[in-house]
Formats: sequence, structure tokens, C-alpha cells
Amino acid sequence: MVTKKPDTEEQAGPLTRRKVLAWLSGFGLCGSAVVTVFSNFTFIKPRVTYGQPNRFSVGRPEDYPPGARIALEGRRICMVREGDKLAAISTTCTHLGCIVSSSETGFSCPCHGSHYDQDGNVTAGPAPKHLAWYQLNLAPNGELEVDKDSEIEVGTYFKV
Amino acid sequence: MSNQTTTSPWKTLTALPENVWRSVFRNPLPISDLGRASTSFTNFFLHIHPVKVHRHSLRATYTWGLGLIAFFLFLILSVSGVLLMFYYVPSTAQAYDRMLDLRGTVAFGIFLRNMHRWAAHGMVAVVFLHLARVFLTGAYKPPREFNWLLGVGLFLLTLFASFTGYLLPWDQLAFWAITVGTSIAGYAPVFGKQIRFILLGDSSVGQEALLRFYVLHVAVLPILMSVLVAVHFWRIRKDGGLSRPPEEDEFTPDGVPVSASQPALALAAPGQVAHTAQPEGGEPLGERRRYGIQGLVKGPITKAGNIPDRSLFSWPNLFIAELVIFLVTVAGVLLVSVFFNAPLEEPVNVMHPPNPAKAPWYFLGLQEMVSYSAFWGGVGIPTVEVLLLLLLPYIDRKPGGVGRWFSRERLLANSLFLTFAILNVGLIIIGTFFRGPNWEFVSPW
Repeated sequence: MVTKKPDTEEQAGPLTRRKVLAWLSGFGLCGSAVVTVFSNFTFIKPRVTYGQPNRFSVGRPEDYPPGARIALEGRRICMVREGDKLAAISTTCTHLGCIVSSSETGFSCPCHGSHYDQDGNVTAGPAPKHLAWYQLNLAPNGELEVDKDSEIEVGTYFKV
Repeated sequence: MSNQTTTSPWKTLTALPENVWRSVFRNPLPISDLGRASTSFTNFFLHIHPVKVHRHSLRATYTWGLGLIAFFLFLILSVSGVLLMFYYVPSTAQAYDRMLDLRGTVAFGIFLRNMHRWAAHGMVAVVFLHLARVFLTGAYKPPREFNWLLGVGLFLLTLFASFTGYLLPWDQLAFWAITVGTSIAGYAPVFGKQIRFILLGDSSVGQEALLRFYVLHVAVLPILMSVLVAVHFWRIRKDGGLSRPPEEDEFTPDGVPVSASQPALALAAPGQVAHTAQPEGGEPLGERRRYGIQGLVKGPITKAGNIPDRSLFSWPNLFIAELVIFLVTVAGVLLVSVFFNAPLEEPVNVMHPPNPAKAPWYFLGLQEMVSYSAFWGGVGIPTVEVLLLLLLPYIDRKPGGVGRWFSRERLLANSLFLTFAILNVGLIIIGTFFRGPNWEFVSPW
């Protein structure tokens, strides 16, 4: 009859070949499990998205007369022009991503009642942050280009 | 004689129905204890049950059948869900039209959608009530800590399954509920934005999100839940059946069982009465009735010999109770589905959120908290609550008060739980009835 060695004795013993192999294979199995989980996450994190591009043209500066505040709903931005200064302010509420509507005093969100002033600074409600201002550029063809991937400081206007 | 072994073709033919029948249904309806035992361990679908079950587990006022109702709702959801999959297309262009088709052209389409929607709402509620039952009866205490963990996992998966199902009709409610919900995920620390991006497959809710939520809803989550449900049930057996107070296993001096004042659901067949009546006084399990090999196994399973036998045969006591719960559950879902249609709002309009945009009712408590602080309401407090739930059996190590509702020994724990529960229900009620446009306080009257 085979007598099983007590566990304590096995653990206390010298480093045997069996133990080294057990450690190595255990390490290998755990390692491959981690790699598998990691690669699955890499797989489901999309490299390309099929939605709207984050850089797009919004027309020529002349389309926005001084004093204009024109919301481009499909792009979720509001184009603001004061004199020769232009800005693209996000109309996505920083609270939970609803679309804010512009009012005389600024912007207000229908979902949880956040209010913003004309520059997108929070004046009331649960919004934790001001509305984003996006980088504006003048493309070589004379059209304005908004880049929603690069946010800029509030009050940083683009001069035309 | 060789005639006896080689039967004639005619005989084979006439005996065919009976032979087929007997090969499928090997046991006749039981008339003896051996037969009653056999039904439990020779039938694949019944063998998850023990042969005998403690009277205390059969008491309807102890469990209210909540775990089983949740399971049967899960079955109804699986069946109606698979049927709905035959007509549904997870595409932003088609999903809403398919909803209209279910309403208008598909036979029983509207009815199946109603069943699926109401059973889903019911499951969220019943799973929570089941969790409350287990808490208030102290049933999570050793050796049932791990089953409590599985249960909390199932509760969270139920919420997530319901949430992913919400987007699929692609109506205004769906779209904005998911927009709000995934934004909440975006507030999680460090990985929030990444989680949101992976969940949506894009930077905003669109076709990718619809496809992802569909896959989660019809494959990933149901499979995960089925596995957890199986382990959850298995652990009930391994932990010695449902929880019960220790007095239930004590001998009583006058021969009257502790539970005699409240007789369990005794549905014994006439021939069995004499037998079930016999062990009530707490006569020890006799040597004859010791469960073979189980006597050698360590742990909290059937203890033979040193406890009074207050168990009843699962056939018919447990099975009839289960059948009744099943029928009541199905009847309830059918009845609600006949009288109430599942809501369907306008098709998605990305430009114009409804005002107020409300999440599904079970998340309205969350949304109410989110309206005060996005991080604390949406991530901080829920995370703390879930962690407390998960760690509960390892924090509360006092052994007393198991197996009884609102036991005095558990006054503190029960009061804390009820406070949390009432607070959350209160927030849900405020979010549902007292919030109007711009999430401003309105009176429902």
C-alpha cells in the first residue's frame, strides 16, 4: 500500500526536479491564462471605429457671421463667432453625454438639469466639468476643420 | 427452447410501444419508499434534488419560493428570448422596424415580447427579494458563504443582462438609457474611459454598441448565468440543503418536533402517512437508514444517526411544491403579458433626447444619485455597496440567528440591510415618480 507523504514534509523538502517542473508548469499555465485574457481584451477593443470621424470640416469662416451661435446637431458642436474670433464648443453634456440645447443664457441639459453659461462653464446642476472646446484649424482649401480629439482651454479662440 | 429467446416479428411489433415507453420511463410512479427514492436519483432532470428534504426547507413562509421563481423566470426568458431571436436583427437600420413587425405581423410576436420584457423586470425584482430573504434569515453564514458570493454575482449579472437587453429595441428610451448608463461607466477611476470604449465599440452609442450589447445579451451573459446557476444549485446540496435553525436538528424531550406548530407542506401520498408521521418525534435515523458512503465524507452533508429525522421524501412533497411555483410563475407572466404591452417609444433620434431621459426603473435610484454627483452616485456608492454585499459573510462572523426571519440576534445586521434597501427603493421611487423635465422635482399628483 502506498503511503502518502504529509503535505508539510513535501513542502519542507529540498528543491527536487519534480517541484521545479511543477512550479514551471504552474507558472506557464497561469501566464498563458493571463495572456489569453489580455489578448481577448485587445481583440474586443476596436482599432477602427465605423461611426463619424472625429476630424471634419464645418464650412468656411464666412458661413458664421459675427455674433453667430450655430449648433451643428449632427456633429454635436456649437460654432460660436465673436468678431473675428471663432470657437467650436461641444454640445455633449459632460455629465452623462446627453445633448445640451442652447438657450439665451448658455446651454442647458435635459437629462439631469445641468446648466452652462455662454462659454460652457457650469453654472448649475451635476455636471462635473465645463463643455469641451475643440481645436479649430483652417485647412488649405479655406475651410474650417474641427478636431474633436484635441480639446483646448476654455476661451481659446481661433482668429480668422 | 429456442422459441423463448427468439421472439416472432409480430410479437416484437406488438411489444414495441411498451418497450419504447419502458426504456424511456424506467420507473413506474412510486408506491414505495424505494420507488420515491429512485425517482430522485434515476431521473436526469430530478437528480439535482435530494431523495429527502428537510421539512423546514419546504415551509413556504420561510423561502417564499423566491429562488425558484427567479430560476423559472430565467427559463421563461431563455425560451422567449430564443424565439425572439428568430426575428430580431441587431442593426440600427432594422432593429426598430423588427419591433414594429413583432407588434404587427409576427404571430404571437407582441405576446412573446411582452413575456420577455415583463419576465425580465420580474426577474430583477425577484432576484433582489431572494437576496433580501437570504440576508434577513442569515442564510449566508458558514458553510454557505461561497453560495452567497455566487448569488451576488448572479444578481449583478441579472442587472447587466437586463441592461443590455434594454438597448435592443433601438427606441428613444433604449438609446438614451444606454447613453446615460455607459456614461456612468465612464466615471469609473483609471479605466473608466477604456471600459466605456470597449463596451460601446466606439466613442458614442451607435451600431457597434448595438451589436456588442446584442452579443452580450444573447450569448455571453446567459452562458455565464447558466454556469453560475448550476454551481449555485449544486452548492445548496453540498452545504446541507437550505439553511435552517439549529433547533430543527435537536431532539425534543416530549417527542414533539420544534416545527409541529407550523406543519410543513405535507403532501404525502396516503400510503406514506404512517411513515412520515413516524420520525416526527425526533427518533434518530436508524442504522438501517444510514446513507451508505456519505458516512465517510467530511463536511456539512447529511449527518446520519445523530440528528432527528425530520425529512420528507422529495417525491411528491418537493416536486409538487416546485410544480406549483412553476405554474404560478408562468401564469403570472402570461397574465401580465395579456393585459399590458411592453413599452416601445419613438425610433431613436440622436438629436433630441426625451426630457427627462430616464434609465430603466431598477437603475433610477442610481440615476437619482448620479444627479447629485456623477462619480459618487454612479460609481463610488454602488461599488461600496457591492463590495459590502460580497464581503458580508466574511465580515459578519457571528454564528447565531440562522434560519429564522428577523431573528433578534441579527437585529443590527438586519436593520442595516433594511436601511440600505429602503433607501435604494426610496431613491427609485423618487427617480420614477418625482422627477420631471430637466430632472427637476415634480409632484406626481
